[in-house]
Amino acid sequence: MNPRLDSAPLGVAVRISRIDWDRLSQDEGRRLREFGLMEGIEVTPLHRGSLFSRDPLALSIGRMQVIIRARHAAMIEVVPAGL
Amino acid sequence: MTNAIPSIALVGNPNAGKSSLFNALTGARQKIANYPGVTVERKAGHASFADGRPMSLVDLPGSYSLSPASPDEAVTRDVVLGRQAGERRPDALIVVVDAANLDNHLCFALELIALGLPTVVALNMLDLAERDGLTLDPEILSRELGVPVVPTVAVRRRGMTELLAAVEGAIGSHQPLAAEIVAPPATDVALHQRAREIARATTLSETPVRRWTARVDAVVLHPVAGFLILLALMFIMFQGVYAWSEAPIGWIEAGFATLQQMVTANLPDGFVRGLIVEGLIAGVGAVIVFLPQILILFLFILLLEASGYMTRAAFLMDGIMAKVGLSGRGFIPLLSSFACAVPGIMATRAIPDAKDRLTTILIAPLMTCSARLPVYTLIIGAFIPARNVGGSPVGLQGLVLFGLYLSGIVGAMIVALVLRRTVAKGNAAGFMMEMPRYQWPRFKDIAIALWQRAWIFLRRAGTIIAVTTVVLWLLLSFPKAPADGSISQVDYSVAGRIASGLEVVVRPIGFNHDIALALIPAMAAREVAVSALATANAIEAGDDEEAMAQSLSERLQGRWSIATALAFLAWFVFAPQCISTIAITRRETNGWKWPLFMVGYLFALAYAAAGITYWIAVAFGLG
Repeated sequence: MNPRLDSAPLGVAVRISRIDWDRLSQDEGRRLREFGLMEGIEVTPLHRGSLFSRDPLALSIGRMQVIIRARHAAMIEVVPAGL
Repeated sequence: MTNAIPSIALVGNPNAGKSSLFNALTGARQKIANYPGVTVERKAGHASFADGRPMSLVDLPGSYSLSPASPDEAVTRDVVLGRQAGERRPDALIVVVDAANLDNHLCFALELIALGLPTVVALNMLDLAERDGLTLDPEILSRELGVPVVPTVAVRRRGMTELLAAVEGAIGSHQPLAAEIVAPPATDVALHQRAREIARATTLSETPVRRWTARVDAVVLHPVAGFLILLALMFIMFQGVYAWSEAPIGWIEAGFATLQQMVTANLPDGFVRGLIVEGLIAGVGAVIVFLPQILILFLFILLLEASGYMTRAAFLMDGIMAKVGLSGRGFIPLLSSFACAVPGIMATRAIPDAKDRLTTILIAPLMTCSARLPVYTLIIGAFIPARNVGGSPVGLQGLVLFGLYLSGIVGAMIVALVLRRTVAKGNAAGFMMEMPRYQWPRFKDIAIALWQRAWIFLRRAGTIIAVTTVVLWLLLSFPKAPADGSISQVDYSVAGRIASGLEVVVRPIGFNHDIALALIPAMAAREVAVSALATANAIEAGDDEEAMAQSLSERLQGRWSIATALAFLAWFVFAPQCISTIAITRRETNGWKWPLFMVGYLFALAYAAAGITYWIAVAFGLG
């Protein structure tokens, strides 16, 4: 099984190989796609959590930065960028 | 098109710089209202074509697509489709895209262009894209999209004339688009692919630039340092609210005192003079005094929002908010609620999860809004000694105020925790949000927004508060007490008799007749409690010069025990005394169920908190 975005190291670009769309609600899935998070796209995890929690995750996608929860990041499988 | 003036809608993604563009096109000539039936803000304004013909401009809520995820986004979709009740379908669209984020923003642009209305694309924030090392070709973009593209830098008013000329041209020469462009890509994956292709074709060169914003974020979003910065900013904000407002508050007080003297000198003694001096001026003046504090608080919130920091704050707070079942999204509405719960509750619309949103609405009134400040300041000034705690530089009055804010926050967290396990049970809240780039807030945008907030507050002071204080003055002044002095005017009046009834209920928690009297009109708005006390005080003092010279806080000191004063403060941490908040909750939750629930639980908490405070204080000998 490929590693998931929620445990990917910060600052390293990865490519999204698969997303468990079935485990996301319709609205959640659509919002992810509106952000451009879909199979084949490269993203870079940038910041994770604050003082009291490992949630949420900020990542860059193209020229945009988005914030998602670890719960959703765990539904995104990634492979090293460039593969 | 009929001979009505053309209506043009600005539409685009969040963070595309739409509001700045709207401000640049319309100046300060804007009208803010709500779309009928929903509480989505409708921002409209006017601009004119080169030949002087007027056009009306509407700024639609930012949206990612025509599939809405929130009531705001639904309005955007319905307006551009011509389905919004009471709203004419726009004659043309200005689609605003961020030049540095074409990959993403072109998706919505493609959907909008496919609607077939005359459309012009504003390639906005071109300067920031250049700063990021991007060179774009607007002509290629225009060819690929099949509509005119105008480069703009809204914050410097660059490209505005060209944009309006292009809109005029688009309306004039409009023909239905070719069929292959009208059909948008069928799936959102295909739509994104198409958007990326166009973005790639438009980008002539891309020089990697080491962005300073990445270095800023490394500190600002740092798990520890970032949190300390957030706390420091909040501290500065609340310090600023008090420290910087002192002088302007003094001017306003002096102004109202002068006004009272002028009216007293120029009107004959009697009903009208009493009504104006003791009712209207005393009451409204006691509330307008808080305008400086409200403006300073809003100034901070607007600056944090415009700079892009607010989303960082939401990121940092998400972990804590998640522990009580909320999300970082809720931080922005709750922070706004420190100014006023009404805009705070309206801002919850950005929270996609229904239960998360409902909980945030229900706890928003627990954030210490600026309307409580008049009450807190008066009581603290009168009853808490102005000395430092021990040998420290911390003032006791400030500490008590901080404690009141903190009680509200802690109370809200506990209530959220309980609600999310009972009436607002649901999935763990989600948190998906775009992080905007840092930007220097633009003076004009902030000034316009601040003016709009000030106007809303003044209108409220001029209507609800003026009416309630005048009604209260009437109820306090009649019937006239017998002249033998056996009973005071306040006790003899209609209001006094009603208060005596209420007093029975609130006596166990230490409240006296004054408070019972102030609580009734304070249902309209909390700060009315202060003007009610002021009005009752003014009537009771009557023409007694010595009593007139006494300030309100001096008079209260003589009439209330410390335990009663503390109980009164505790009451206002929780009491839901604000008609506007109840009304906005009804509208935002589409019914009476949740506002009634909110009023019920908050009154119960207020009663308990005041009671416990009173009994403890009495046990310590402060009764």
